Amino acid sequence: MANILLRDNVAGIEAYFAAGGYRPLKKALALKPAGIIEEVKKSGLRGRGGAGFPAGLKWSFIPKDAEGPRYLVCNADEGEPGTFKDRELIIKNPHALIEGMAIAGFAIGAAHGYIYIRGEFAAETALLEKAIASARAKGFIGRNILGSGFDFELFVHRGAGAYICGEETALLESLEGFKGQPRLKPPFPAVKGLFGSPTVINNVETLAAVPYIIEHGGDKYAAIGPARSSGTKLFCVSGAVNKPGVYELPLGTPLRDLIENNCGGMKAGKKLKAVIPGGSSTPVLTAAEALGVNLDYESLAAAGSMLGSGAVIVIDDGQCMVKLLQVLARFYHHESCGQCTPCREGCGWIEKLLNRLEDGRGTAGDIDTLCSVADAMTGRTICALADAMAMPVTSFVTKFRSEFEAHAAGRCCPPEAQGKY
Amino acid sequence: MPKLTIDGNTVEVAKGATLLEAAQQLGVYIPRYCYHPKLTVSGSCRMCMVEVEKSPKLVTACSTEAADGMIVRTTTDKVKAARKDVLEFLLINHPLDCPICDQAGECSLQDYYMAYSLAKSRFPQGDKARRAKRRAVGPHLVLDNERCILCTRCVRFCAEVTKTSELDVMERADHSYIDLKEGKALDNDYSLNIADLCPVGAFTSRDFRFKTRAWFLKKTSTICLGCATGCLIEAHHHENAVHRIVPRPNAETNTWLCDHGRMTYKAVRAGDRLAKGVIKNGVIDLEPALREVASRIDEAHSAAAVLGSPWLSVEDNAALSRLAGDALKTENFCFDFTAEQGIRDGILINKDPAPNTAGAMLLKAARGGLTLEEFSRRIGAGQIKVVVTEARAAAFIKDVVKASGARLIVFATNKAQIPAGAYATLPYASYFETPGTFINHQGLRRRAEPAVEAQEGVKPLWEMVNKLAVYSGTSLRLHCAEDALKGINF
Repeated sequence: MANILLRDNVAGIEAYFAAGGYRPLKKALALKPAGIIEEVKKSGLRGRGGAGFPAGLKWSFIPKDAEGPRYLVCNADEGEPGTFKDRELIIKNPHALIEGMAIAGFAIGAAHGYIYIRGEFAAETALLEKAIASARAKGFIGRNILGSGFDFELFVHRGAGAYICGEETALLESLEGFKGQPRLKPPFPAVKGLFGSPTVINNVETLAAVPYIIEHGGDKYAAIGPARSSGTKLFCVSGAVNKPGVYELPLGTPLRDLIENNCGGMKAGKKLKAVIPGGSSTPVLTAAEALGVNLDYESLAAAGSMLGSGAVIVIDDGQCMVKLLQVLARFYHHESCGQCTPCREGCGWIEKLLNRLEDGRGTAGDIDTLCSVADAMTGRTICALADAMAMPVTSFVTKFRSEFEAHAAGRCCPPEAQGKY
Repeated sequence: MPKLTIDGNTVEVAKGATLLEAAQQLGVYIPRYCYHPKLTVSGSCRMCMVEVEKSPKLVTACSTEAADGMIVRTTTDKVKAARKDVLEFLLINHPLDCPICDQAGECSLQDYYMAYSLAKSRFPQGDKARRAKRRAVGPHLVLDNERCILCTRCVRFCAEVTKTSELDVMERADHSYIDLKEGKALDNDYSLNIADLCPVGAFTSRDFRFKTRAWFLKKTSTICLGCATGCLIEAHHHENAVHRIVPRPNAETNTWLCDHGRMTYKAVRAGDRLAKGVIKNGVIDLEPALREVASRIDEAHSAAAVLGSPWLSVEDNAALSRLAGDALKTENFCFDFTAEQGIRDGILINKDPAPNTAGAMLLKAARGGLTLEEFSRRIGAGQIKVVVTEARAAAFIKDVVKASGARLIVFATNKAQIPAGAYATLPYASYFETPGTFINHQGLRRRAEPAVEAQEGVKPLWEMVNKLAVYSGTSLRLHCAEDALKGINF
């Protein structure tokens, strides 16, 4: 099928317009906000940032009778290791995001939208600013959009390099000018979000799908993919495949198809060993598991992992699982905000345990400790970062225990020995 | 009003109450580090997690609002495991320097470890994160970052109570540490509350540091005489020496205590503490001093006068009034003090630095006497030649005494209190050594209770007044502080 999101030659406003762009906005402005939310609910669109929460339902949580402003925030702080899809969307199809935000803003009654973009995306920020300026010049953003009486202003705010600011409430703290640390919930952002006002936070990819849903109807979008995982999804494939990159596929596509067809299979001489299917925090799948799973929310959950952000990290047989987990642990240890005890202390402890195993100082007991520390972190903190550390630990150790045991027995993996156990 | 069940017992709580508060109402204790009833909820230490039926994860009791029909369990295996895990996490990077830590004996890490963990360490000593040790961070506090568990009570106290925001958490993850913000020192008027708030030995009091071990301390409930607020306090003492003062939180006046109030105990054992009399600048034994003072009073006859003091208890003021009325038989006495009352800084410190202005006015109501204006006028006019008063109250008549050359006889606990030009000074026992009643700015009658014994020979003021009367040839028959109150309706 044709791509909905990643389309060629629509980056400029004229091209986007010529391809039918901003027609959905005009259509939306003639609808009632509740009607738009109903359409998005019907589409079955689920949050593409990682959690997969139904977008229409999220919008409907904004209290009807809330006084004062409401805000729409786009989470473009794409930081999950392995993920590089929002960046691609912003480069190739920025107006789908802008239009989607204007429609969403109208639906929830927000006059202001913020795009919180990852600090490292300097060039993308400039592109986005330019696209917003051209949309504003055409009257798609600003006061009295298309004569509808609806005002919607859009701001781009650059992050300062913290992974945790991709967590929606930490993002709000950062946007407000504070240290990026997740907030206690409840209250949820829909009730008390940005500057204490009702706020909807959606991922870039989620918002970019909205114009299509308005243009073609929720039913048509829902018809793509399996029942509870409707629509298309961007998959970012990295690792030893022939053609790594971003692919837009209907949800429900077999992972085997993505690797073998879209990506042209494994690189010569490399054998598939494992796949992290949804970004670094999702549990790893063995080659056998990976080749039997479909890429949708339910199938991956049934396989014991998650669709997450759609970052498919392909691990070949030349990789050492202990070393890989050590890399992840170093990342999560560095990025833990330090607020909650289990995450603050646990991430550091896990990295130290893995350092011992990797350096040949580890013992068999360290492997058990690793698992019990991960257990003690799971489900015990304000946000999901501790779980994001614990899930790979548990899955790596469970599924590739022999490699950890080999390390504990003193057989480390110098480059030449990689893949031998 | 939501009704819920905690560990099988049903409780009805106010709307908005948290599970921790609801449990407290039932007498169920839930361990906590970051939670403090007077600070905003942080929910970050994860020590107070409990099980709520139908909730897939454990929830923090400090931040979860009680809802009707909730079934809460605080003693399940899941809850016990969570507490044990949090304690293990908190201890892996803790230096375990309890033998040299002031907090030992009153440390939440020690107490909770004994109550909820008792696990053996699985963390290699050499892997512990090292942090800055014992830094002075203000006039009253020392900070040891290694002992800190990052509960952020201190940060929230400075942000929310004193609104001075000196502290913040720097860095992230297990590199996090509490530090002063750039260009700040922890020198607000309430900094020592942080030593109390800190559940571990990270913030310790510079004053109390290494004085004694916490378990030796005996505790006496008494009141602070640092100003007219009259906070409820506890004096902690060992071997007849007060070592520190902490607040006794109460709804009427104080949760906290100011640093000034906390330091008032220092006068008790200060180097300039008076145990003998002072005539002009010479120290002499008490008996000859009393004899000398008595003869100066007798010499003045009806020109002798008594001025009460808002720094003295109601009983001691009453004793002074008896001295004027029954021993000196003079009309020249005054208990007329007015000072603006009210909290000066929005927290605790009163505009009136004296603790008993209201109590002294009670004497005025009961015994009459001159207004302070008339009293001063009579000194100026030479009608009063000798004034007996308390050292700090002498400030009210300082100028007119100097101008007229009247003789000033003062009671003082410390040499530093003695006003310039005083003719004689008599010592008396401080209110850490003798009881007394005080009335605070709200009209609350509160009692100072002795924590320690006065030095040999140092007597309460009423007893000194009794002796003075005897030397003057009369007897007031005061056998205890309350005897002076006879005829005073209060």
